[in-house]
Amino acid sequence: MDDLLADFIAETREMLEASGGELVAWEADPTDRARLDTIFRFVHTVKGNCGFFDFPRLASLSHAAEDALADCRAGRRDPDQQLVTAVLAIIDRIAAMIDAIEANEPIDEGDDESLIAMLDVSHETPQTGGLEGACEGSNPPLHAPAAALLGSNDEPNAPQRRADPAAAQRTIRLPVELLDRVMSGVSDMVLARNDLAHRLRQAGNQPTIDGPFERLTTILTDVRDAITRMRMQRIETLFGALPRLVRDLSTELGKQVMIDLDGGDVELDREMIETIRDPLTHIIRNAIDHGIEGPSARLAASKREIGLLAIAARQSGNTISILISDDGRGLAEERIAAKAVATGLITAAERAAMSRERILNLIFEPGFSTAETVSNVSGRGVGLDVVRQNLEKVGGSIRVTSTPGKGTAFTLHIPLTLSIIAGLTVEVAGHRFAIPQSYVEEIVQASSQALDFTRMGETALVTFRGNRVPCLMLGEVLGLPACPVAAKEPTLVMLRLASGDLFALAVEGIHGHGDLVVKPLAPAVMKSGLYAGSTLLDDGQPVLLLDVANIAAGADLVSDTRTRVLGTLGDSAAEVAKQADRAMLFTDFAGRRSAVRLELVQRIETAPITAIDRSAARPRVVIDGLILPLVGLPDTPLTQNRVRLLRLSDGACELLFAVREVEDAVELTEDLHAVPEDPLAEAITLIAGQPVTLVDAHELFARHGEPPLAADRPRCTLPESEWARTILAPLVTAAGYDIVPASEAGTETLGILFDDVYEVAEALGRPLPQQVIRLRDQPDAPTGCETIYRYDRESLLAALAAASRAALQAKGVAA
Amino acid sequence: MIGQLLVVARIAGRACALSALDVKSVIEIGTVTPIPRAPAWIAGITALRSQALTVIDCRRAIGFGIGLPGSEWPTDHRAIVVAEGGHSYALLVDVIEDITTGASDAGQVPGGFGPEWSRIATGMIETMAGPALLVDLAALLAGPDTAHREIEVLV
Repeated sequence: MDDLLADFIAETREMLEASGGELVAWEADPTDRARLDTIFRFVHTVKGNCGFFDFPRLASLSHAAEDALADCRAGRRDPDQQLVTAVLAIIDRIAAMIDAIEANEPIDEGDDESLIAMLDVSHETPQTGGLEGACEGSNPPLHAPAAALLGSNDEPNAPQRRADPAAAQRTIRLPVELLDRVMSGVSDMVLARNDLAHRLRQAGNQPTIDGPFERLTTILTDVRDAITRMRMQRIETLFGALPRLVRDLSTELGKQVMIDLDGGDVELDREMIETIRDPLTHIIRNAIDHGIEGPSARLAASKREIGLLAIAARQSGNTISILISDDGRGLAEERIAAKAVATGLITAAERAAMSRERILNLIFEPGFSTAETVSNVSGRGVGLDVVRQNLEKVGGSIRVTSTPGKGTAFTLHIPLTLSIIAGLTVEVAGHRFAIPQSYVEEIVQASSQALDFTRMGETALVTFRGNRVPCLMLGEVLGLPACPVAAKEPTLVMLRLASGDLFALAVEGIHGHGDLVVKPLAPAVMKSGLYAGSTLLDDGQPVLLLDVANIAAGADLVSDTRTRVLGTLGDSAAEVAKQADRAMLFTDFAGRRSAVRLELVQRIETAPITAIDRSAARPRVVIDGLILPLVGLPDTPLTQNRVRLLRLSDGACELLFAVREVEDAVELTEDLHAVPEDPLAEAITLIAGQPVTLVDAHELFARHGEPPLAADRPRCTLPESEWARTILAPLVTAAGYDIVPASEAGTETLGILFDDVYEVAEALGRPLPQQVIRLRDQPDAPTGCETIYRYDRESLLAALAAASRAALQAKGVAA
Repeated sequence: MIGQLLVVARIAGRACALSALDVKSVIEIGTVTPIPRAPAWIAGITALRSQALTVIDCRRAIGFGIGLPGSEWPTDHRAIVVAEGGHSYALLVDVIEDITTGASDAGQVPGGFGPEWSRIATGMIETMAGPALLVDLAALLAGPDTAHREIEVLV
């Protein structure tokens, strides 16, 4: 019985949510039989179920509503606003009763009779003031169908662009706990797979196992995607309640508002939907209360008397944006500015320098509310500052734009899910920590001298792009022992807080970055205020996620207002306008200040001295498992343990430029003076009043760049012998050949054969390669024989080169 | 409590019992990643498959071992995994002794168990393997500082 009751409550509640929107939609277009049928089905089902459970009051309410709706369906009665209001009131009463039943409380005594009586008020005899909530004094006849008002709408019968409820997917109800269990099961499987992959790699290639393993990997990825989507919900579930909200608010405020919903099929994490429910409601309340004018004011401004509130959801990558726009009077810039000055948020001088957009966004500041009269609907103390705070808590943001007299638009950006974030893993004193990528503005590696690292009292400051920025030592924040070597050359992670404040976090190294699955931490650990969660790295090692906002707040790095970020926003706009060439400024090992164009720089690498090989004429360095040419090293042996390298690329080949110190990215604003006497210098220019040599990339790559390996190398078969595999093969490969087994040889493949084998094959009439190099064992050649002694390196290389030229020519002819 | 399964472990040299219903598993403890600036009784986090467990040093969580050399009691290489308030914990104890059934309800003894033990113990329970203190998991996981705070409030 209890189970049945729980099912009844759950089912009724779901139908309640759906029918609120349906009802308003039906009011807007009474000819829409489909919606009338949906509502009718709802009250009918409730009636049937409560008869079964012996809830006589529920039964009588739903019965009355069903009767009235049945009249409408049969055409005996036209739906008007009073009828809709009355049916909504009954549905509200049913909802309240359902809540009481679920909580096992007695159902409050309510005046069901008057609700039922309202249904019988015929639309031909309107009773003024008979209804609570209806517009007083006026009972406007049902307005023209919304479709007619929309005019250009391409879906004339659907003023709300919602998915047709009849086409809803088949669903089952599952406890979220079960979903979470399945999810963590799949996560375990992924870890087990990673472990297995690691062991398989160690065991070497095993074709019989690798195939099925690949398949397992693919399936697992699919399952993981599907599971992630199980936590997702269409934003429609949130949108479903909005038509009703808008209708109730506009009735209460004596305004006429139509809602247009778009993008209900966008999916996001269930928990995220709950997080944005209140902010969204708040913005809608504001829009109807303050934004949209009353009907007469709208007509006077030559707008349609019905206001339009449009809500659209869009997904782009890992972010969902929700745009809430109204066609109301827009935000009053002057009043906002005056209020901000009055409350001391900004000074009059600052106000004069601020753009309209910056002033408008002041409405999100704490304690800001322009409503002169606090109405019942909005302005109850919780303002837009709380909305912004709640959104920022989950890594979202909000902005507002507005045109006077035309309307206002709020844009919300929220991450797709709470639990998977992009993160950076950093290392300090042997510990690893993760930082959410969204905070990371830039990573800077430089000596403390270049950063102008100073201590002001207990606070450390660095200079970054000409600004002094506070710097926190992660090791100190966490109370870990400092490493003296790393302290001299720290890696700085520049973090931009949601409030716009920038600060540097000094760490000892960057370990990696990627998507992190964040799990909550035990409350006792959360109390420390330094961590936001934990995550597992690929190798299964647990890592703590730093709570950047809290760490910054703990160090008093968060400013009270956003004037600073607003200021920098303006600066960046001005920068874009200039568009100067940019270069990376550095000091080379000769002590010369030089620069290289920023487009060439792929990355700044730090290589240990052991990765550098200087045995050949040209030095080489091993980076990421590749051997790359290295220039810029001094002639004397290196004294330090690590070398900073600029990784340059011309698009095809890469080389590394060793530098003593990387300074910063700068703009080339001054004139470039050519330096014909130094071939490696493109020009000399002034940067901050100092002469700087600009490296000539063309000359650099011409001299030191290694041509990329040809994509289509000539192929060659070798004799079957240990000597050929170990001694001959490297020589042939170095000459630019790919060695293939005899079974894959084609007509153009060069064959290298020992002369005795060749002669036997020729004598037996076996097929021989068209191109062939014959090797002999004796240094002295018998006359008239086209063979090469197998240790005659020069002749061998010449023959290989000739054969490859011939192959190229043949290809050219064929082409 | 009579007839209920209990996991008996030794914490700070004393026999303690945990209800087997609270215990999810017993694991070999692997690498523990320390948490800087966390209370001393939290040894760190460790990974159990895809889950991160908070590792609790039970002796310190009760209030012992502060200012004393930690090597006074040995530590079992296994840990007891429990779940409380939606989070999973691994409990480090001296030694995990037995799984047994309770033979009495939890009761008090005259004179109490001492302030540290009284905070985390529901009472004394007779088991098939002898008497043990029945541990109140929530109180244990709240850490030693909570008791002091409560006393301050009372004063």
